[in-house]
Amino acid sequence: MFEQPASPSLVSRSWGFRLRLPFNVALVLPAQLIILAVALAPAVIVVWLALTDWQPTDAIPWYQAETVWFWNFYDLWYDERFVNAVLRTFFVVGVCVAVELVLALGLALLFLEDWRWKKIAVSVIILPMMIIPVDAANAFFMLFNEHGPINHLVSLALGHPFEFSWLSHPTWAMVPIMLCEIWQWTPLMFLLVLTGLIALPQNQIRAAVMLGASPPRIFFKLVLPLLLPVLGVAVLIRCIETFKIFDPVYMLTRGQPGGATETISMYMYNGAFVYFRMGYIAAAALIVLILVVATCLGLAKSVQQHG
Amino acid sequence: MENRMRDGQSRRKFLLTGAAGLAAASAPAALLSGLAFAEPATAANAHVVAAEAAKKLAVGRSVKLTILEPSGSLGNIKPVADKWTADTGIAVEFVEVPLGEINQKVLLEAVSRSGSFDLALPATFGVPDLAESGILVNLDKYAELHEPPDFQKDVLYTIGDYYKGSLYGYETDGDTYLMFYNKPWLENVDEQKAFADKLGYPLKVPDTWEELDAMMAFFHQPEKNMFGGTLFRTQYFIAWEWWGRFHAKGFYPLADDLTPQINNPAGVAALEELIAASKHQYAGAKSNGLFENFEAYGQGTAFANIGWGGTQKYLNSEKSKLKGKLAFGLMPGGKAGGELLRAPYFNWGWNYVVSSVSHEPEIGYLFSLYATSPAMSTIAVRDVDGYFDPFRGVHYEDPQIREVYTPEFLEVHKVSMQNSIPDFYMKGQGEYFDELRVNLTAADAGTKTAKQALDDTAHSWERITRRVGARSQKVQWAFLKSNYPEAIRGRLK
Amino acid sequence: MADGLVTRRQSRWVVILKRVTVVIAMLISFFPIFWLISTAFKPFDEWASWPPVWVSGHPTLQNFRIVFFPEAAREFAAAEKGSLDYKVSGSAWKAFGDSALIASLATAFSISFGTLAAYSIARFATGGPNFPFQFLTVRMMPPIAVVVPIVALFAVLRLSDTYFGMILAYTAFTLPFSIWMIRSFIEEIPSELEGVAMVHGASRAKAFLTVTLPLVRGGVLATALFVFILNWSEFLFALVLTSGRILTVTLQVANYVSASSGKLYGVQAAMGTVSTIPVIVFGYLIQKHLVRGLTFGAVKR
Repeated sequence: MFEQPASPSLVSRSWGFRLRLPFNVALVLPAQLIILAVALAPAVIVVWLALTDWQPTDAIPWYQAETVWFWNFYDLWYDERFVNAVLRTFFVVGVCVAVELVLALGLALLFLEDWRWKKIAVSVIILPMMIIPVDAANAFFMLFNEHGPINHLVSLALGHPFEFSWLSHPTWAMVPIMLCEIWQWTPLMFLLVLTGLIALPQNQIRAAVMLGASPPRIFFKLVLPLLLPVLGVAVLIRCIETFKIFDPVYMLTRGQPGGATETISMYMYNGAFVYFRMGYIAAAALIVLILVVATCLGLAKSVQQHG
Repeated sequence: MENRMRDGQSRRKFLLTGAAGLAAASAPAALLSGLAFAEPATAANAHVVAAEAAKKLAVGRSVKLTILEPSGSLGNIKPVADKWTADTGIAVEFVEVPLGEINQKVLLEAVSRSGSFDLALPATFGVPDLAESGILVNLDKYAELHEPPDFQKDVLYTIGDYYKGSLYGYETDGDTYLMFYNKPWLENVDEQKAFADKLGYPLKVPDTWEELDAMMAFFHQPEKNMFGGTLFRTQYFIAWEWWGRFHAKGFYPLADDLTPQINNPAGVAALEELIAASKHQYAGAKSNGLFENFEAYGQGTAFANIGWGGTQKYLNSEKSKLKGKLAFGLMPGGKAGGELLRAPYFNWGWNYVVSSVSHEPEIGYLFSLYATSPAMSTIAVRDVDGYFDPFRGVHYEDPQIREVYTPEFLEVHKVSMQNSIPDFYMKGQGEYFDELRVNLTAADAGTKTAKQALDDTAHSWERITRRVGARSQKVQWAFLKSNYPEAIRGRLK
Repeated sequence: MADGLVTRRQSRWVVILKRVTVVIAMLISFFPIFWLISTAFKPFDEWASWPPVWVSGHPTLQNFRIVFFPEAAREFAAAEKGSLDYKVSGSAWKAFGDSALIASLATAFSISFGTLAAYSIARFATGGPNFPFQFLTVRMMPPIAVVVPIVALFAVLRLSDTYFGMILAYTAFTLPFSIWMIRSFIEEIPSELEGVAMVHGASRAKAFLTVTLPLVRGGVLATALFVFILNWSEFLFALVLTSGRILTVTLQVANYVSASSGKLYGVQAAMGTVSTIPVIVFGYLIQKHLVRGLTFGAVKR
């Protein structure tokens, strides 16, 4: 690793500025500035908006809005819809990531050996990752239509017509949404687990086999602990991404019926761009940003350290 | 058709007509000078006058209008826009947004001020919020200059065009809510006898909700694949039906001081009756949207349906088994003060509005004048594949339109339009109605009692009014009340 | 190959069972895509019929015509009774054009700035050990939480519904990927190579450009394709930051709704199928690096 150059360098000399900018700092500057513009400025604006109850129908620009100080946060605490959205999102994240993990693990184990059409199999299995999320969601909308193939298959299985309206049902509407998410991202987990499995130390496993350990024992006592770092990253990444879930919810239900499928992103979208309570939603955004970023950073650091 | 606008509007009209009509436009003498030899501006040649004025304004410049329209309405707008371009040389471009999002997109423009459109077609009930946000141009000044005195004369519903006394956009769709009945069932002699025997009055197109509910109960025999109705029990529609049932009992939703009256005994009764009627609807009532409703009712297996002109366009097409086999009725009424009170309900509509970010507000206004003029709007309404239903007297006489909708339907539609009560044109309409929707659905699902649901709604309404600003709401509420159809205005408490 | 788990001789039945399970997984993966493609070719009376039509008996190109050649679609509908005649405001070419322009430029900027930053961080540990996490933080923020203040910001800067605004937003939100991914590629190249070049008189920049960059070219390209996929598939920002001057392929799908038939499933399926092709193509090209990309360089194959 080269150390930082002691003297200001190429930038100041070749461009004639009197700016004393170290070379390496100049390199990160463009990226840093863009991030600042599009991530930091909004952060400041969010804090300001969160202290107002600004709505466009107030007919004044947002920077001239009246402050209501902490009333938004107080209201949010008692806002059932917000709290439900948060809890619901945690539920969705938990279920989806767990299911993806189990499916991916099971599937990856089947790919440990080679066979003739293995490459094709992998290609097909990872196909879902390469569909634009809104189009995948649209496909699931058609699949779970009352007159769609899923109901058709169930009808065939049951022997009588099954025309259930999945997306209008308060309890069951969440199922197509979660299935869409699981369908699309299990392949990613699969690839990650596969990567981890391939990297396993052969000798330890062969030794265990020769010593007569049974496959389940080998799996749980030897393989799984060795896989933990990769699984940790996989779970972390999927948790971060699933928490943001928006496209399937928007395309399938918009959070309906009656808010029964509202995740935190959908709640904020509805609040900000359907009801236009932008100050209030900014407060919600602030809470969510702090919570999510803190949690994820913490997890990321721990994965980094143990990985 | 008498224009039912309130005083300020008639004052303006008086100014225009009273001072010998045309020379009366004292301000824009220059504008009219070019027309000195033209006929006086009337509704009949409004499109010609509008085109001329626009052409004059655009002279020497290359002007383009962009219209934000809901997906699926292009069929109505494009023919008119093409004619406009031919008449004025001003090009028109379209931006499509999904139907349910157009109001939000216009309100978003109030924030982002991108200037991407000059005109928009939001749903009428969104106009108050849009007006309050400052994104709509107050069209009074342009109307003063260009609107012919009898322009609104044969428009059957104009309440949504005005907010707090000012014009914000011309209505361009006749979305009055009305009823459809299965004619063979209605005229079946055996059924008629059985019904009269059972209930003591003849089977006919019902006048009141009680009668309709009784008929739906009578016909509902699911084991024979016969259903009382294909009415809706999804959020949006349930609120509309309840609104109609509530007004039929003779009350305004708010008192003059903005106290909600929706949870009074009449409101609770209306909701309880609605919930009782749910038992006699088809299985899809709780989940089906508009197009599924068309298809289901078109099978001919239910007695009653509720809908708009668009419903009739489908039911009168080859796709429907009920083509030619329909009877139509106004939204049922109720008995208020011992007499029949009918309060049909106008619950959607589209208005041409002008964006305050636009560089061409006057030309934009002139386009809306052009497009909603009798001549041009007839062309627009003729197109089957669009949302616009008849809203001007002349539409009802047009042979093409009569063929699409059938004269029997148009007869009822016209009466319905003339007597329609407005939607809840208040700032925050979406919030108020959302509370209503959620609570009504809960009551229908059984998770709340009717009284509880309406009490909760009333409570939320008071909170919303407080937040939105009671003073501002009072102004609009007084204005809105004064614009209810004359026949109905005095009979609601 | 961790075939330590499978060194025991497996009975034929076990092998068959395993392969069958794989086939079932393949079927499940493919099924929704199959349905999308199949629906794209269905005439409109087959879109929501019951029982549903799995493969159309009368496949038609009308849906694709409506998407790309509206004029031809009108003519076809006029000639062929019973086929869908839908008036669109314009063909989807604008959506494809806008998406391509925005995605390409945003990718170019993201990669360029990202490479510079990645090099700086990889070789100089600029900003200390915690600095890179700042970029990760951007990615952790739910886009909806950021989009509200961005709308407010863009309103003041008059950037709403502008190409520049969209490109700026997209560049910012893919920078984390660019930086982390390219950093992981650069870290695989020993810095001694640059040292050798510098010993021979090259400046630091020259050393990077002539020695390291060619070696990570493949990785940078893979990152570029990956970032392009992200930009092309993006939905929320497009939904909120545009008002009609700009149209993306993700937005265009929702516009296929008609007054008389509601959602035009076939046309939406046609649009979805075609717009997802670039993603599939690029995705397979960078298959080897997908894992690295989606885990911010944490996991490499």
